[in-house]
This record gives sequence, C-alpha cells and structure tokens, in this order.
Amino acid sequence: MNKTQKDALFSITMSALLLAMVVTIAVVAKLPRSLSWFWFLLTYGIIGLSLVFLRKRQSPVEVDLDERDKLIKRRAMLTCYFSLWGFFIATCTIPWLIVGPEGSIPVCVLPVILLGVFITVMLVNSVAILIQYGRGGKHAKE
Amino acid sequence: MPKSEISNQIRRLRFENGEMTQQQLADKAGVTRQTILAIEADKYSPSLTLAFRIAKAFGLPLEEVFQYGEKK
Repeated sequence: MNKTQKDALFSITMSALLLAMVVTIAVVAKLPRSLSWFWFLLTYGIIGLSLVFLRKRQSPVEVDLDERDKLIKRRAMLTCYFSLWGFFIATCTIPWLIVGPEGSIPVCVLPVILLGVFITVMLVNSVAILIQYGRGGKHAKE
Repeated sequence: MPKSEISNQIRRLRFENGEMTQQQLADKAGVTRQTILAIEADKYSPSLTLAFRIAKAFGLPLEEVFQYGEKK
C-alpha cells in the first residue's frame, strides 16, 4: 500500500469518526443533562488524536508519488468537482422540499450542512482514489 | 477503429535479471511498486519518460521492453 492509498484510508477513517461525532452530538443533545455530552466528545477527541499521532509513517526510502498516483489523484479531484455540484443542487432542493419555498431553517443548521458536504466530498475523493487503485495494492510482493 | 495496445516484457525481463523484485525495479525506475504491478498487468500505460527509465533499468532499448500492437 503506497502513501496515496494510506492517505485515502486515513481520510475515510477520520470522516467516519467525524460523522459519528456529529451524530453523537445530535443524539446526546436530546438526552437528559445527567449524561453529559462532554464525555462523548472527549472520547471521540482522544480517538481522533490517537489516529493522528499513531499514523504509520511512510518509509523514507519508498517513492511518495509517481505519475500514476498523480493521474489517479487528478481523476479523483474531477470526481469531487462533479459531486460537489450534485451536493450543491441537493442542499438547495432538499430544504425547499422539506420546508417549502416560503419556509425558514435555523441558522445553526447551515454549518451542519456545510460540514456534511465537506465530509462527503472528502469521502468521495478517498473512495474514488481507492476504487482506481482497485485490488492492485493487495497483491503479494513478487 | 482498431484499439491500440501497449504490451511489455517486464515480468520476463525481471526474472531473467536475477529474479529482480517489483520493488527493486520500482526503486530503479523511481516509481511505486503498485505502478510496476499495474504496468505488468497491462492496466496502465506508462509515459514515454517512465518507459525509457524502465528500459534503462534493464539495460535494454525501449522496443525490447515495450511493444506496440493493434487489437481489434
């Protein structure tokens, strides 16, 4: 597994963690005050930080990025660009369908929508990278 | 219209060169092992520069490592 694949897997892990954190906040906010959400946040924070610090470093001898990796990254970015337009259309139409053209949404929902789009685009990028590599990275060393 | 195809002899040449590993060839060509794997499996056509670097790693002219053919 090369650096690009490792980075993509790392991004997927972090995105999943971030999504779990957002869901936890949404769920815990409805729970009684006795169950403080601070402990949930602290737990996820510790897990997230440990992932950052325990992340396996690439060997300095190995080549970080070659022409094929650059091509794969470029294609993944193109996928992100088109998916971003899809998410833009979705974020415009879904609230319209839910609350109607004259409806209103709380201001605090906007950052959540932005965060959701950011996480999803990050996931699309990582998945696009991993799909392009296919099963090639899993072959045994010859 | 016929589809162009670039084939290569990398796998054979590796074994003829003292059973060179993909990693060793990758290090000589300055790419990752996955790229050598993809080229060997005809899943990726290298750039001209990389093709020359791979040929140089074997000490052979380009046409002995890569062949161009037409596939219908």
